[in-house]
Amino acid sequence: MIRIQDLSVAFRSPVLDGVSLHAPAASILALVGPGASGKSVLLKSVAGLLRPDRGEVFVNDVALGDRDEAGLAEVRKGIGMLFQNYALFDYLTVGENIAFPLRRLFDLPEEEIQERVTERLVRVSLPGFEERIPRSLSGGQKKRVGIARATVARAPILLYDDPTAGLDPVTSQKIYDLIKGEQREQQSCVMVISSDVAGILSIADRVAMLHQGRIAFDGTAEEARTSQDPLVRQFIHGLLEGPL
Amino acid sequence: MTQAGLSEGHAPATSRRLGGPVIDGLRDLRDLFRLLGRTLSLISHGKREKGAIVEQMYFIGNRSLVFMCITMGFIGAIITFQSAVQSQRLLPDLTMLGATFIKLLVRDMAASLGAMPLATRVGAGIAAEIGSMVVTDQVDALRMCAADPVDYLVVPRFIAATLMGTAVLIIAGAVSIVSGMLIANGMFDVNFHTYLNFSMVTLGDVALGVTKMIAFCAAIAIISAQRGLATFGGSEGVGTATTRAVVGSSFAIIVLNFFISGLGYFFVPS
Repeated sequence: MIRIQDLSVAFRSPVLDGVSLHAPAASILALVGPGASGKSVLLKSVAGLLRPDRGEVFVNDVALGDRDEAGLAEVRKGIGMLFQNYALFDYLTVGENIAFPLRRLFDLPEEEIQERVTERLVRVSLPGFEERIPRSLSGGQKKRVGIARATVARAPILLYDDPTAGLDPVTSQKIYDLIKGEQREQQSCVMVISSDVAGILSIADRVAMLHQGRIAFDGTAEEARTSQDPLVRQFIHGLLEGPL
Repeated sequence: MTQAGLSEGHAPATSRRLGGPVIDGLRDLRDLFRLLGRTLSLISHGKREKGAIVEQMYFIGNRSLVFMCITMGFIGAIITFQSAVQSQRLLPDLTMLGATFIKLLVRDMAASLGAMPLATRVGAGIAAEIGSMVVTDQVDALRMCAADPVDYLVVPRFIAATLMGTAVLIIAGAVSIVSGMLIANGMFDVNFHTYLNFSMVTLGDVALGVTKMIAFCAAIAIISAQRGLATFGGSEGVGTATTRAVVGSSFAIIVLNFFISGLGYFFVPS
């Protein structure tokens, strides 16, 4: 479970301004909003990768603000994250990339690590890709390897930063199905950023819309679809006319 | 009144203009010493990947050895040639040409002249590697996996650059002696045996020269790593970090040389 309270972050100018949000356990929260509205900054703050100027993030009721880097590393053991541009280690093979969190976070025997890597690659439809290097993969394949790495530790909290950006509709749908399937199996708490509103609404339990660093909408996917708020309506339905 | 008003109005802006870079510089210096402190403490109790240091030593040595040998070869030839020409104007005796050049090289030039091109090669490489990992979120991905970026990225590069950089500087220094010897023999008829005169070199000179090499290489590694970790923005940010790494390293080499040479003047007189 993730609870965000009055979170403010600024880099010269404000990026997040008093954001409060709740992502319940065993659910998918979609974060949507126009570009540069602070979505990725919010996700990185939840992972403890950015220190907010004000406010607090609670991960399973643990306040991140009180923790030093070692304490944050402990919290991050329970968080898996897919970065917007994959963030695969380009000097490691695909197999080594996926095994990396297992090797750093847990003291597992090598056979178990290899088993879990193989199982993840099958799960993301990339069997036999262990020895490939990241630069030889397509964008969609890199995303899937990123998802495999984010989920290999079976963390109860998963953060996905735009998992379908730049992908074709079929690959996007496969990735959404994968995220949804993983979430249902693991009963994890998932936060997903996406610019593909229709796609993300199809798997989300709740939707939060960020606009200019503030929460413009927070409700169920159905409420988002039927909202009469001009801002939400224009963004969700992709209308040309409106306040955006 | 207008003048006073003007100067009052301009003073804060001027001080901001002048003060901004000073504050940034002090902040950089603080970050640099913090990183150095953390790196030194993690050398003893960090959790490094197996073979990371050896891998970095191979990269750093392999990347710079030929370049450094060629550069220092030319430098040795130029200095020997210029020294011989200037000496001949005063005294037509070049028997001590090699001896003085070798002493100068061992005591200072192999380290100070060699460290500059080394900074462009090794320093730029470290800053670009770490900087591109920062802008592509790989450093954040490391943190998500409980891998301390300083321990994982900086410590192996620091150790490798210090050890391998020193080794490369020593080899390149030897190459510059050979190139100087060839020039002395080919253009001024100084025979090899006369040129290769190590009689003026003391153990203190060697110690001072090696101390400078270690200090310069360590400075290159830590400054470049700090610039890399502070990268902000996309590929433009990586370019800026690389430039700042080379400029910062070169500046540090000059400043460190001043202080180490000063100490050497008192404790290891030439």
